[in-house]
Amino acid sequence: MPRQSRFSFRSPGLFHALFVLALTLTAAPSLAQPADAALYATGEKVFKGNCASCHKPDKDMTGPALKGARARWEGKGDIYAWVRNSTDVIKSGNPYANELFAKWNKALMTPMAVSNEEIDAVLYYADNYAPAAAKAPAAGTPAPAGEPQEVSFWPWVLVIGLLLLVVALSLGGVRKSLNNAVREAEGKGPLPDRTAWQGFKNWVWHNKVFASVLGLLLLTWGITAAWDWALTIGVYGGDTVAHYKPEQPIRFDHTLHAGKADKGNLAINCQYCHSGAEKSKHAGIPSANVCMNCHQAVTESQRNPWSNAEIKKIHEATGWDGMAYTGTPKPIQWVKVHNLPDLAFFSHEQHVAVGKLECQECHGPIDEQMDQAEQWAPLTMGWCIQCHKDKEVKMAGNGYYDEIMARLEKDEKLGHRELKQYLEDEKITVKELGGWECAKCHY
Amino acid sequence: MSSTKRYWQDLAQLDQVAEATKGRDDEFRAPMPIDEMLADKGLTGATTGRRDFLKFLGFGLGAASLAACETPVIKSIPYVNKPEEIVPGVPTWYASTYYDGQDYASILVKTREGRPIHIMGNPRHGINRNPRLDKGTINARINSSVLSLYDGERLQGPMMKGAEGMTASTWAEADKVIAGKLAELSTAGKRIVVLTPTLISPSAKAAIGQLRNRFGAKPAAEGQPAASGAPVDHVQFDSISHAGVTKANEKSFGLRVMPSYDLTKADVLVSMDCDFLSSWGSTTEHAWQYASRRRPEDGAMSKHWQFETRMSITGANADERVAIKPSELARSVIGLHDAVARKAGAGTAGGGLDHPQLAAAADALWAAKGKALVLCGSNDEAVQVLVNRTNDLLGAYGSTIDLANHSWFFQGDDAAMAQLVKDMNAGQVGALLIAGTNPAYCLPNAADFKAGLAKVDLTVCMSTHADETASLCQWACPDHHYLEAWDDHMPKVGRYALSQPVIRPLFDTRQWQESLLRWSGATGSYHDLIKSTWEAALAARADAATLPPFNSVWQNSLHDGVYEAYTNANTPVPFAGDVAAAAAAAGKNAAGGEWELVLYTKEGIGDGRHANNPWLQELPDPLTKVTWDNYVLMAPSDMKRLGLQTYLGQESPASVVTVSANGAELQLPVVPAPGQKAGTIAIAVGYGRGANGEKVGKAACLPNADGTATPVGRNAWPFVTLVNGTASMAVGNVAVTPTGTTYPIAITQTHLTHMDRHSVVKETTLSTWAKHDPKGTYNHQHELAVHEDVNKDGAIDARDRLPVKEFDLWEEHAVEGVGHRWGLSIDLNTCTGCGACVTACTSENNVPVVGKDEVRRSREMHWLRIDRYFSSDMTKERAKEEGLGKIEMYLDMEVPSETPRVVFMPMMCQHCNHAPCETVCPVVATMHSNEGLNQMAYNRCVGTRYCANNCPYKVRRFNWFNYLTDKFSATNPAGSELGRLVLNPDVVVRSRGVIEKCSMCVQRIQAGKLEAKKAGTPLADGAVQTACSAACGTGAIVFGDLNDTASRVTKLHGEERAYMALEEIGVKPNVSYLAKVRNIEETAQAHHA
Repeated sequence: MPRQSRFSFRSPGLFHALFVLALTLTAAPSLAQPADAALYATGEKVFKGNCASCHKPDKDMTGPALKGARARWEGKGDIYAWVRNSTDVIKSGNPYANELFAKWNKALMTPMAVSNEEIDAVLYYADNYAPAAAKAPAAGTPAPAGEPQEVSFWPWVLVIGLLLLVVALSLGGVRKSLNNAVREAEGKGPLPDRTAWQGFKNWVWHNKVFASVLGLLLLTWGITAAWDWALTIGVYGGDTVAHYKPEQPIRFDHTLHAGKADKGNLAINCQYCHSGAEKSKHAGIPSANVCMNCHQAVTESQRNPWSNAEIKKIHEATGWDGMAYTGTPKPIQWVKVHNLPDLAFFSHEQHVAVGKLECQECHGPIDEQMDQAEQWAPLTMGWCIQCHKDKEVKMAGNGYYDEIMARLEKDEKLGHRELKQYLEDEKITVKELGGWECAKCHY
Repeated sequence: MSSTKRYWQDLAQLDQVAEATKGRDDEFRAPMPIDEMLADKGLTGATTGRRDFLKFLGFGLGAASLAACETPVIKSIPYVNKPEEIVPGVPTWYASTYYDGQDYASILVKTREGRPIHIMGNPRHGINRNPRLDKGTINARINSSVLSLYDGERLQGPMMKGAEGMTASTWAEADKVIAGKLAELSTAGKRIVVLTPTLISPSAKAAIGQLRNRFGAKPAAEGQPAASGAPVDHVQFDSISHAGVTKANEKSFGLRVMPSYDLTKADVLVSMDCDFLSSWGSTTEHAWQYASRRRPEDGAMSKHWQFETRMSITGANADERVAIKPSELARSVIGLHDAVARKAGAGTAGGGLDHPQLAAAADALWAAKGKALVLCGSNDEAVQVLVNRTNDLLGAYGSTIDLANHSWFFQGDDAAMAQLVKDMNAGQVGALLIAGTNPAYCLPNAADFKAGLAKVDLTVCMSTHADETASLCQWACPDHHYLEAWDDHMPKVGRYALSQPVIRPLFDTRQWQESLLRWSGATGSYHDLIKSTWEAALAARADAATLPPFNSVWQNSLHDGVYEAYTNANTPVPFAGDVAAAAAAAGKNAAGGEWELVLYTKEGIGDGRHANNPWLQELPDPLTKVTWDNYVLMAPSDMKRLGLQTYLGQESPASVVTVSANGAELQLPVVPAPGQKAGTIAIAVGYGRGANGEKVGKAACLPNADGTATPVGRNAWPFVTLVNGTASMAVGNVAVTPTGTTYPIAITQTHLTHMDRHSVVKETTLSTWAKHDPKGTYNHQHELAVHEDVNKDGAIDARDRLPVKEFDLWEEHAVEGVGHRWGLSIDLNTCTGCGACVTACTSENNVPVVGKDEVRRSREMHWLRIDRYFSSDMTKERAKEEGLGKIEMYLDMEVPSETPRVVFMPMMCQHCNHAPCETVCPVVATMHSNEGLNQMAYNRCVGTRYCANNCPYKVRRFNWFNYLTDKFSATNPAGSELGRLVLNPDVVVRSRGVIEKCSMCVQRIQAGKLEAKKAGTPLADGAVQTACSAACGTGAIVFGDLNDTASRVTKLHGEERAYMALEEIGVKPNVSYLAKVRNIEETAQAHHA
């Protein structure tokens, strides 16, 4: 799932880094990364976009592991042709190709419209692949996967900073002794003994420009940091804060229920349970009777040690004693995860049924990564309107929008002017049809 | 010619009284007490220094920020078993029926997550449906009734009267005791009486039948000896009695009923003191019928005469209105009858009033023979017989009057009720079971009733509150609110309707019919009884074999809310009344005297049963614009004569007078009422509820500063007299004495309305309209002189003018031709001024109720108001004709006419395309949408109120308080936990310090667009209705898309009569008005009165 771009005034990591760099005047510490990080990144992107559904870099899946593929093909044929259209290569009678075809149950690989450079990148990525497990997030701050980690950066800064401090202090001592020696030789007597603070003030007095610049930098950094922090108040999702992930009365696992079938999950359609998403403003927490559609039969699970106990809770909630409903239900008190303020009107129906968005675009990889539901998106107004600015309205085949377009085309005065403005970027976005107007969400 | 008619809002403006008009130009009159604060010596001695203040501020900010960091924990509890028809977030609509003995309507109830939040008329079925527009007509009382459901002062379980007053009991206990007592009384042969208002429910009658079967005397039959038992009687008592009409129909045609009227067929309509649009007969039906003949574009416009004492909304809508005294009514009816009879060559009665307007009305009636109708509001049987005869001579029966499909409303019998009170006092009544009526309050001889109640062996009141009657009964067995109950109705011959519960009972209540069944020992619920009653009725029909199976009839009826079984041919019934006897009797009943009094019901409170409803208490009276009170209406000339205060405002309280008649006496403030006949006064009944501390709903009383509460208004029911066996709302020989004291009145009239400008209201006569030259006659275009040679005459002069719409101060919004452009069209001709739109808006948009004290300070919050303009007869043209000088002309304009003409003008945000409010907001909280809406972002608003100051229409409202706090819990429903359930969850509840105003129901627009997008079809015209347009059964308010060339609103905007209010200021509203057309002769208007 490609990440949704976030509306943000800041890139805190970068700014902190720049400030520390300016302060210490040291070179950025190198990260343990492949030699050509750009090529690696390109490869990863192309791989995830095209190959990942059948291949893994380091393990066999539907297709073979890609690690070492270039080496395996060395001298046996054109790997580029093979990737782009394997059928042709097999038909051409290439023996290695036919051998692979037979080995992998005669499953043909889908032809790929990729360039040689992209294939190079993918193979480079596969060969230098480092599993994501190595980048475990720090405890307590579960950062979304795919985010570049800065954890390894700070110890270096600390070490270098300490070293510099030691050097500076000892150099200061040396300088003072030398100065005193010189003055003694000149017969002036030793310098007055100054406290560190007096020394600092003296230093500032003699280095006004440098001190001013440094002071200004410090101030800017302080204000920016405070601003960044202020913008996270009341925000429980997104890149910069820990996601809101409350403990629920039942430890419901979205990855098990909605995750992909090829990973041993059940791949239940989101709207089987959240049936309101297409017909109401609320997607809705499913009523317990929906759970019982399956859990009347599914009473045990080996998935997790706690699974059976959790299934029992549903039975308790619905008053199911294993044979019949006892008529004494106990409604489940879920903790609401996504809390929009009352002043904002949000309709799932609009976004799912008309906008045709995937659930994951706002809720993140809930089906793949969240064994406990969490707020993935920041749900800030900035985040909402950024999407409204970028998203193209799905007009095709919708009579409502046909009428709106017909009116624009018919009106020669304002209609034509507006339409021209809309189409400057060759698409009609939500914003252009009024998606940035207050009363679309606030009434 | 009449387009320059001068309008005035009240007498203060007319007379230019400086003290009363002072401050009127200020939008917000209360000044900030800055000087007062600075003058406070304590400030200098304050202990909090600047530094401390800054520290506190810093700490406060920090604490607030930290508090904001707390992760919210909000519980969300889904259904265990979700009902199939409920999708959280999606409204579910149920068809039901409203009937309370006074009003009747087929309605649709909107429920959200199982709770009813809004009521509208059923657009597809029912007698209140306007078939020409597919609208269901309702009034403010009906759509506000949803709020009464959430009244926390309703009885929450059965109560028993003991030594220490009412104590809580249980249904089991109540049933045991009451059934046992009834059996005892039955054995003793004592009379059991069920007292209700007019019952139109066949099943409720069947339930009473069950009671009769169980306890009544059984005749000897089938070899059984006669069982002992008691007579079980059913007495129907209507607080607003129509007994005179039904009795007259019995005498004239042998049918003791109210006929059905068809106003759509009436070319000429003469109303003799009959307020048929608001309080007489089947009002929800009359309103749409009447309005459908008031649009000249839709065929011949009807001609309407009104002879009445007080200015009713019916009279305000009339073409010709003549003020008469109540004592003149009988003679006026005789006069009209005789004038018609002379033309018909029939016998006359003699002794009638001779009035040129009566003669003119008779001429018109006769000319429209067969398409004419005379209605009379008198409750005097003899007068109604004469009216029947007049209608008979005019050929109205079989055309405008239908007796074959008569209505079942107003079957109440005043004589039977009077007899019952006598019997009670004589100790002849064993048990009195009261349901749906409150005789201890609204009976004129309530004291006798109360005395009699003590002598009845068993008294059970099945009301919703511990009201005046229930608090005196031995048992209070609380009834459901009608939205919690099943019921059926038979409004007319051949027409049936169902009421169904839309929510589980909130309290431990039981509908009264169910209670009767339990006491009768019947098995099965009332729901079962309704079904079996219907099944039996259908099976008994001659064509039973051809009907679909009962279950499908039942399901369809439940879905539609009605079952329309059959319609009889409207064949006229021969008149068999005695005209001479009637004329002789009619003359006798008119008592005169120095002062005469008429009693009436107000649009909001009705007969008093809605006193607990704050929406209705705060609904301004259509004519006086007074909220939260009743008062004495008096002609301004009389007030001046008595030296009473005619200028009412925030700082000008009303003078109080003592009114006494029939041994009853009341002290009430006096409100000037142009149009009131000199020498008469009028008082609204329905006020003064809970005067003895009964819990009849919080809104029935106003909180005092010391924590006590005073009832709203005073009870005027004791003035009602029984004349000739029927209750009369007209009283003669009244004494009126000024007390010299004053009383503050909350009136929305003198503020927040337009200034005196001719471009606000446009009007004309039918003949002028028919010339189809609007620009040259009544609908002038506004032009501005420009400095260029527009007319190409070679010179730049005053003749070079361009229409206002050509001018743009700002760049225009890209709205016209782009997407949607929402707009309203409001027809001043079909707007009757009823106010249903105001309460519908309140219900839809969570508009707070602020209470009398705040209304008095001009702080009412209504997004939609109805401006009422009286006119003065003097015009510039007439002054020229009569050769009057300017000073004389203006002096003449200040003389109020006996019969001023009235215009009702619904006024809401005009959604100007060049909105003056948008340009002055410093925080861009109000701005334009690309759909032409003037949007309001409450969370951006910082409350400068610049926008309200800059609004030429004065439609923006400022939240002076947080109306959810305790201070307003007595008045604002959203202030209580229970009342909050009525809020529309799709509309945000505004907080203190922000401006709010009409959003054109943007939540409905968004929902409608979403439906269209999902269906993939263009948005159909009429698919989206604002709350006001949906509530307007007369079709005066039409909402739609102005960019849709085929929409109804686009057509109406293009009509000849269309104009924008204050067009000359160039704000380009999206709301247009259709000029008022009066069906009068030019000369008649010029020389009127």
